[in-house]
Amino acid sequence: MSKNLKANILSISISLIATLFILFIFLFFVGRDPFFVMETMFTEVFGTGYGIGQALFKATPLIIVGCGLAFCFQASLFNIGAEGQLNLGVFGMSIVAYVFDDSLGLLVVPVAIICGFLLSAFWGLIPAYVKIKRGVSEVITTIMLNFISLALINYLLIEFLAVKSTVRTEKILDYVSIPQLSNYFEIFQGSSVNLTFIFAIILALVTHLIFYKTRFGYKLRAVGLNPKASKYLGINSDRMTVISFMIGAGITSLVGLNFVFGYKSYYEYGFSNNIGFTAIAVTLLAKNNPIGIIFTSLLFGVMDYGGLAVNTIVPKEIMLVFQALVILSILSFDRLVKIYYLKES
Amino acid sequence: MEAYPVIEFKNISKKFDNFFANDDVSFCIKPNTVHSIIGENGAGKTTLMKILFGIYKPDSGNVLLNGTKVSFKNPLDAIKSGIGMVHQHFELIDDFTALENVILGDEVSNYGFLNLDEARKNLFDLIVKYNLGVRLDKKISQVSISEKQKIEILKLLYRKSDILIFDEPTAVLSPVEVKEFFKIVRKFKDEGKSIILITHKLNEIKELADRVTVLRKGKVVYEVDRNDIDLTVLSKQIVGEIDSDHTVDKRTDSFSERPFLKFENVVYKKDDIELINELNFQVHGGEIYSICGVEGNGQSEIVELIVGIAHKSHGEIFLEYEAISLVPDDRIEKGMIKEFNIGENVILRNGRNFVITSNMIIESSKSIVEKYDIRVPSLTAPLDSLSGGNQQKVIFGREIELDCNTIVFVHPTRGVDINATAYLHKIILQQKNKGKAILIITSDLDEAFYLSDKIGVLYKGRIGNEFKRKDFEEGSIKRHEVLRNIGKAMIGVNIV
Amino acid sequence: MIEGILSITFMMQVLRMFTPYYLGASAANFSERGGVINIAIEGFMIISAFSYASITIFTGNPYSGLFGSVAVGILFSLLYSFFTIKLKINQIVIGVGFNLLMAGIAKFLMLMFFQSSSNTPSFTQVPVLPFLSSIPLVGDLTGDSIIIFALILVVLSQILIYKTKFGLRLRSVGENPEAAETLGIKVRIYKMWGTIICGFLASLGGIWLASNQNSFSDGMIAGRGYIAIAAMIIGKWKPVNIFFACLMFAFFESLEIVLQISGSGIPSQLIQMLPYLITILVLIGFVGKTKPPAADGVPY
Repeated sequence: MSKNLKANILSISISLIATLFILFIFLFFVGRDPFFVMETMFTEVFGTGYGIGQALFKATPLIIVGCGLAFCFQASLFNIGAEGQLNLGVFGMSIVAYVFDDSLGLLVVPVAIICGFLLSAFWGLIPAYVKIKRGVSEVITTIMLNFISLALINYLLIEFLAVKSTVRTEKILDYVSIPQLSNYFEIFQGSSVNLTFIFAIILALVTHLIFYKTRFGYKLRAVGLNPKASKYLGINSDRMTVISFMIGAGITSLVGLNFVFGYKSYYEYGFSNNIGFTAIAVTLLAKNNPIGIIFTSLLFGVMDYGGLAVNTIVPKEIMLVFQALVILSILSFDRLVKIYYLKES
Repeated sequence: MEAYPVIEFKNISKKFDNFFANDDVSFCIKPNTVHSIIGENGAGKTTLMKILFGIYKPDSGNVLLNGTKVSFKNPLDAIKSGIGMVHQHFELIDDFTALENVILGDEVSNYGFLNLDEARKNLFDLIVKYNLGVRLDKKISQVSISEKQKIEILKLLYRKSDILIFDEPTAVLSPVEVKEFFKIVRKFKDEGKSIILITHKLNEIKELADRVTVLRKGKVVYEVDRNDIDLTVLSKQIVGEIDSDHTVDKRTDSFSERPFLKFENVVYKKDDIELINELNFQVHGGEIYSICGVEGNGQSEIVELIVGIAHKSHGEIFLEYEAISLVPDDRIEKGMIKEFNIGENVILRNGRNFVITSNMIIESSKSIVEKYDIRVPSLTAPLDSLSGGNQQKVIFGREIELDCNTIVFVHPTRGVDINATAYLHKIILQQKNKGKAILIITSDLDEAFYLSDKIGVLYKGRIGNEFKRKDFEEGSIKRHEVLRNIGKAMIGVNIV
Repeated sequence: MIEGILSITFMMQVLRMFTPYYLGASAANFSERGGVINIAIEGFMIISAFSYASITIFTGNPYSGLFGSVAVGILFSLLYSFFTIKLKINQIVIGVGFNLLMAGIAKFLMLMFFQSSSNTPSFTQVPVLPFLSSIPLVGDLTGDSIIIFALILVVLSQILIYKTKFGLRLRSVGENPEAAETLGIKVRIYKMWGTIICGFLASLGGIWLASNQNSFSDGMIAGRGYIAIAAMIIGKWKPVNIFFACLMFAFFESLEIVLQISGSGIPSQLIQMLPYLITILVLIGFVGKTKPPAADGVPY
């Protein structure tokens, strides 16, 4: 086992333990029995097929958005706009699916996916273009675009497209959907986890191959590591910026598979519940490595559902705090392990 | 009467990993003298000075200042004891004025508010006394390298340094500026100060040094006083045994009919400033053309224009062959992806395959390592784990393997030790003999004289004077005259 | 509607809205002058607004709220310096983490303390400077000491950054920490001070918002922390220019309110979009000529 791998395992383990420790203290502080909380969470999540299914269901979008973000982060582009990008894409996807479901039948699925992808990609093109032409930091533009896209969607929904007195779109025909996993594995009965989970895993594997085994992936990573040298090496870093942002943003729209085609069959304003931000953490913790993203997504998926499961004992919002602590903790221990174990400065 | 040595090094040793940067170094520096410490890159001079200046701590041994043991914890301590150092790479803040840079850390203030007037007065007196020509209210980003050096000197004088250390002070100066520098050093000596000069330029030693200490591979190998200096002996001591492989002295004389690279009345503007101002030159196949000049006269811009990072405003750039090999000047910043290994850097550059497997990477690493004799911990080690000289060899190898007909080298042997330099020069000459057009941008006149068929002097974005090999090669009568003329051309004097 | 804009009330409103923007932008500026990027201004405002609201509600005393909230802000900024300066972790990543942490804590504690996930109970007590409120016209404003402070801050920052020893050293650390180090300046200490001032000012911004609204509610900061960062960039890291940039954003936010009240028929969501849209447009228009402190964001 390489020293680097050992270091990674060490830092993740220590940080998880440290975070758990802090969480315990926090729970004591607010008057809850941490052991009971943990026990309940464990039995709910891992003790039932439903629980595991739900954890996977929550992990799936994180893997997808994570892979999309990884395209940007590998090129050192801080895409904070996944939330806006994915919402726009999924929104578009549902509208197209609803409008054409009777005329195209199952064919509407790939058509809707492509439309959604292009819409999200366009939303990723804007910050990329503004960056290469005017040097504006993508951190600020993507955050601004989040607000703009959500306001826009809200407006379109309420004024034109939503089902009366709701904030969701019309339902797509029932048979145009992605099968639940419970159709194949009895154990997942009742859970919304669907084939998108498998798709997400495949997406992660393909993304991994692209990053580490193709010229495109090398060029992408080179631009992220040293944009100046990349120019001298003949790589068009402006083009890379635009392409990676568009692909990354486009991929985030694919969460629509999980939520729309695989679950509710409509778009509902607020459905994303900040996965665009959680995914940032998921990707960074995995150091932009898609295989790692699978694991960190599973971790966060467990925490997400676990939070819901213990909601009667302690508000699920504690999970937000826990997730933030995990992020900070993994980042710190990763650095500490680098300094003291690998002896870098 | 023997005065106390102002500085004495007693058995100083410093190890980095497995390698002795300083190995039992002992010698004295007499007060009010110019003491030169010379040696090749990696000989241990900078390490020794960093120990003196408080940046490093020695593993063993002592430093004595005026007879008393001292152990500086940081540069501030050293500065307080009267020692000042002008580093090879200036430590100046571009966005600040000269005044702000000089007083930083030692500001005169009333209740926290800066009092610049007093400092201004003091500094003005110093500028006049030492004839420094520093404009206190100019921002550093707007002054020449020579003025920057003077600002660094002013920093030391402001803090009343009596012992002044200069690390490779003339590396980036034009011949005229070098003469100015010598005058300043002599004035310091007249004022009773002690000066330590770290250099590898023998002519400076001849001009200034009262005593010379030679370091090689971390050890003191030779010391000599001014009157007994023999340059041949000195060179031998510095270098030890040369890998003198003069087998490639045969040079081709046949150049291609058409130039492979040609700049015709090229103008390049950035933010309304003309950085390249009607530049004309051409390089033929089989020819080595060197562009010499003081840093900042358009060298980087020429490279950017050739590579395509910058776009000309007017004029024409002709490239007979589109593919160009480039060995850039700052290898870490521009030359490579240091986190990738040798094979990855090579494959990234040669632009052929879409799918990249581990085998391909290893094969690629292997071929470069074997062909160019590169020392590596392993074939998949990232480039940042290699020494500077080996990194440069990797970049050379990578570019040569592309087999482009036009090659551009920018400061190809800067910071590279003498053996590696000879090796790299050999490679350049080999490529010339293969009929490639070679453009070298360098400020090392020795290198230019040794390699080139033609030298063009770059001043303010234009080449006003060119010199042919037959006039400056070894043995030519006109060699000294050419050297003088190049020096003049570098500062804008036109030679007819 | 034009009368609406030109009225004194409108200008006073702009001045009010200007306050959190300027405090946030100033906060980010002090941090970046020291070379530390802080994109967690939003989070700082959230947690300080919440702390101020809760402490004021629990103790009934707005001054305790004020001091308590500032203390919380400074504590978080010390934590921030630990990660970014001591551990030298990438500042943008930490910023994202801090934003999540602070928002999460606020949301969670709001549930725990007030059993509501959307807002706290309201409170009427706010810190005042009673002797000034008798002056006509200005009296309205002086009732709010934080607004006065924000205005004074413009001049104060200008002097502090350009005319004091501290300012010179802070700037040197943000431009070229290696050079500063050779002159004996303790780089990390100055970076830390930059971060602490940042936490202090950002907290005041959050406090003002809660004080203005007399409560804390989910989403009340509404991205102002990010707009403040944009204002800093547009203002080229100079206090006086940042002042104008913030005035501009405040103008558009006040315009939004006027448009909504006047029933102009423009949909509210589109009006809400305005500040964010303006931010991008101004950045596109301005940038290309901006130059942050040279060593900004570089862990030292």
